Amino acid sequence: MPETVLQLKDASIYQGDSLVLADVNFEMNKGDFVYLIGKTGTGKSSFMKTLYGDLELTKGEGSIVDFDLAKLKEDDIPYLRRKLGVVFQDFKLLNDRTVNANLEFVLRATGWKDKEKIAAKIEAVLNRVGMKTKEFKYPYELSGGEQQRIAIARALLNDPELILADEPTGNLDPQTSIEVMEVLQELNKKGHTILMATHDYALLLKYPSKTLKCDDNKVFEVVQRKG
Amino acid sequence: MSSAFEKHQKRRLISSYFSVVISIALVLFLLGLLGMLVLNAKTISDNFKERVVMTIYLNDTAKDVEINQLEKSLTLASYIKETKYISKEDAADFMKGEYGEDFLDDIGHNPLQNSIEVNLKADFVTEQRLDSISQATLTKAFVDDVRYDKDLVSMMNSNVKRISLWVLIISALFTLIAVLLINSSIRLAVYSKRFTIKTMQMVGATKQFIRRPFIWKSIKLGIIGAVLALIGMAIVLYYVDKTFADLQLLSNTILIAGLFLGVFLIGILITWISTYIATQRFLNLKTDQLYY
Repeated sequence: MPETVLQLKDASIYQGDSLVLADVNFEMNKGDFVYLIGKTGTGKSSFMKTLYGDLELTKGEGSIVDFDLAKLKEDDIPYLRRKLGVVFQDFKLLNDRTVNANLEFVLRATGWKDKEKIAAKIEAVLNRVGMKTKEFKYPYELSGGEQQRIAIARALLNDPELILADEPTGNLDPQTSIEVMEVLQELNKKGHTILMATHDYALLLKYPSKTLKCDDNKVFEVVQRKG
Repeated sequence: MSSAFEKHQKRRLISSYFSVVISIALVLFLLGLLGMLVLNAKTISDNFKERVVMTIYLNDTAKDVEINQLEKSLTLASYIKETKYISKEDAADFMKGEYGEDFLDDIGHNPLQNSIEVNLKADFVTEQRLDSISQATLTKAFVDDVRYDKDLVSMMNSNVKRISLWVLIISALFTLIAVLLINSSIRLAVYSKRFTIKTMQMVGATKQFIRRPFIWKSIKLGIIGAVLALIGMAIVLYYVDKTFADLQLLSNTILIAGLFLGVFLIGILITWISTYIATQRFLNLKTDQLYY
């Protein structure tokens, strides 16, 4: 039986007082690659935020990598995020330090102490995304695609059980989008579970996979026609 | 290109720290000066009080033995700081010096009386005390009169109380301003890093872990500011002590050391608490709330 990493049951997601998504039922197993599509404003980001604890789940049930979202306490959020790898549309790297220091910060923040192990881990994740040579660059010295690869490398640091990518290609040109997508596909082949929000339909056609759609306050699965 | 950018970043960083350090230093410096004033208020007021003179005028018929005995008994009393016998000749000499030669010639004889000047210890310079001393002294037959400036004494006592109260109020006000000023400088510094703080939270750092370097940095700035303030206080203390040596400002080393230590600790404490509150504020916000 496949291992469940994410499960939502009759979950409703609110942004402030307004209902964004109602009665979401959704399950994700280890090794899945799932798209979350929908127009802007249909609740993709709110959905993602709920999963990584930036929005409270006030109604319904939800469990993600062994954390109960409905009962999630403020103090648990950092520990939830350590089991997730989150990739953002705007990269969210720390601009005041180098790539190396960015990754080192995450490791130190999550309890790594041994210098050699830290260096080895950083090298390993940078190799995974093909960014080994950019170790001592500042984020602003890198192109968008390169920054996003670093962000993906950062998401991989703590061997996440689930990678949440919130429009990872939203700020990138089509060519670079495909490069970033290749990285994500590669990770999925190696066994990583990935949930990716996007509105880039070209990618869906190129890399077909299970797809959820947000529309009219609902989340439902759509079946792709083979084109 | 990038080095120019880095230089710009560094300069921006230094100038923002600079204003924090300066505001901490100035505020602590003023606080320290007020502290010195409060600590020395008693020394200063005592100094003035002990200059109040009570003069005992003696009859010309008084015998030397009686005068000596009176002076000695006064000197031995616990409330007397010092006494000084002034003969009518000494008084006349003094007057001559003050008003010119002719004063004795006009009258033909010396109308002044022998007298004893008494200075009381500061704690005893009150109207009641002076009255009771003068009454006791007046009972002696050879004493003609006892005089002192009653108004000055009462004015002095009420003024000292009023001034100390105001100094305390101003000190409290300054402490409040100090906290607000330092707090807003630090809040601004933390505010400029709010997105960095949020990103750090996104990758699984605990609040405590994120807060720690901010607090360290602020405490370092607080220490630099406090040291600058202490140097300023030391300079002021040095010159005031040199100008008003009889106030003996430096005599109570423990109090002064305590004041310096206190200012130093206040510098650390205020920056610590301000940074804690400022970072906590942004740590508790959700991402969407950062934009407004």
